[in-house]
Amino acid sequence: MSCATVSGSVERVIEVNRLTKRYGGVTAVNGLTFTVRPGHVTGFLGPNGAGKSTTMRMILGLNRPTSGSATVDGRPFARQRHGLRHVGALLDAGDAHPGRSAAAHLWALARGNGLPRRRVAEVLREVGLEGVARRRVGGFSLGMRQRLGIATALLGDPSVLLFDEPVNGLDPEGVRWVRGLFRRLAEQGRTVLVSSHLMSEMENTADHLIVIGRGELIADESLTEFAARGAGACVTVRTPDPDELAAVLTLDGASVRRDGGGLLMVTGMSAGRIGELAFERRIMLHELVPRTASLEEAFMESTAGHADYVVGGRR
Amino acid sequence: MSLLGAEWIKLWSLRSVRWVIVVGVLVLVALAVQSSLDTYAEWPSFRAREKAMFNPMTEAFSGFSAIVVMIGAGSVGALTVAGEYASGLIRTTFTAVPARGRVMAAKVVVVAGIMLAVGAVVALTTYGASQVILSGRGAGASIGDPGVVRVLVANALLAPVSALVGMGIGALLRHTAATVVAVCGVLVILPTLFKPTVHQWANDLYAMFPFYVWRTCLSLIHPRDEAALPTITGSWIAFALWPLVAAAVTFIVVRRRDV
Repeated sequence: MSCATVSGSVERVIEVNRLTKRYGGVTAVNGLTFTVRPGHVTGFLGPNGAGKSTTMRMILGLNRPTSGSATVDGRPFARQRHGLRHVGALLDAGDAHPGRSAAAHLWALARGNGLPRRRVAEVLREVGLEGVARRRVGGFSLGMRQRLGIATALLGDPSVLLFDEPVNGLDPEGVRWVRGLFRRLAEQGRTVLVSSHLMSEMENTADHLIVIGRGELIADESLTEFAARGAGACVTVRTPDPDELAAVLTLDGASVRRDGGGLLMVTGMSAGRIGELAFERRIMLHELVPRTASLEEAFMESTAGHADYVVGGRR
Repeated sequence: MSLLGAEWIKLWSLRSVRWVIVVGVLVLVALAVQSSLDTYAEWPSFRAREKAMFNPMTEAFSGFSAIVVMIGAGSVGALTVAGEYASGLIRTTFTAVPARGRVMAAKVVVVAGIMLAVGAVVALTTYGASQVILSGRGAGASIGDPGVVRVLVANALLAPVSALVGMGIGALLRHTAATVVAVCGVLVILPTLFKPTVHQWANDLYAMFPFYVWRTCLSLIHPRDEAALPTITGSWIAFALWPLVAAAVTFIVVRRRDV
């Protein structure tokens, strides 16, 4: 893919400022403020109904905010004449007419933005759909339509890209490909915002996270910072002498939970210190594993109480 | 220009649109030929009064032909807008070109242009075909006869007028099935049900429906001059107002609403 070189300070930056959207009495997005910078894959996380799609649509000028603003390259996206050249977006894999071929769909969009016809073939090749270019979109699988949506986003070689739940319907090979693609796009200096309701998705893709729940900002920080929010560092220890070790560690200030079968879950003490104490008391260890809380746990914890749809009723 | 190109590609890349246009034109020409051949065969048995009342223009393009054109063109126009909303393509379209007014303007121009061309082809080929047959009985109407050009222009304009009305309804309803039903209702069913009454306001109201003014005035070589019936000038105004209002509605609702 030919890569445009872009420079400047507000360029390629998505700025969302106290963005609010109400539908009747329901507040979908509430006073959201964040900035998405180039050169990173930024994950946009939140449970279903958190307001991710609504926010993305407001960034693109498709939905009008009740108050607040969203800008791309320092100005409202709705003022851009050639949208595809600034922002590429995959909002919903179905956003194409089922009666049109993939090539015709892309060619109409390219034409409207004054892009050359060869871009159609280029992006179709990039997403692996060159073999079905003449086939109608109505016959595509969800995964193929996701790829077509990604091709649409890439068409104008934009410096800002938005992807709303892009991995839905992709097979494992497709998921791996799309992660690599996002990384490449970010490495080329583009701004990449990828939404998902699955934390595990972000673990392998994003460097920065914006987490929202019920339309409000929960976290805007790097992946590692966010992971550290989790239940706290914990060390699991397996020993043939759990009673004695538990007593020693507790005496030294750690909190210990017995898990049976000689397994101890220790919090409040590093793996190194546990090893030292065990060595001093000549207690044999079979296993000593420091565990950082998983991102999934951090996510669940931070969005608890922010999820709109919870099995068994609203929390 | 590039937006016109984009809308042109969108319209022609749909197989359904190509079929509707090709089959529609063939059916309309076939209707003209068949009707003219019937008349040709029966002409010698016509009474003098029937010959005097004979309108060769409706032989070429009957009320039924007008209904076919209005439903066909109206539906195609409606689906260019409602189909984009229903499929979600509208979000892709407005992400690619955020200036919604320019997109809709291009759509209006392309749809109206193609439909005007199709309407002109239909008006001229149906007239030509029936002319070839009817002139054999001396029952034709030459292009220089009074009223003939007006009828041909009205016949040609039915398609773009209907297509733009369809677009307006499509923009309002955004749901494909509801839109097509509404297009048939407004363009064909409502104006067909009406007969002139003693209530002049009702006559005036119906004198605003394109199909009604076409049927009672514009399609006739010698329209009857009665207070209850639309005038030629009034008919042309109705033909102009509907697409203009429809285009305005399209612009306003598409620009204002979230997609």
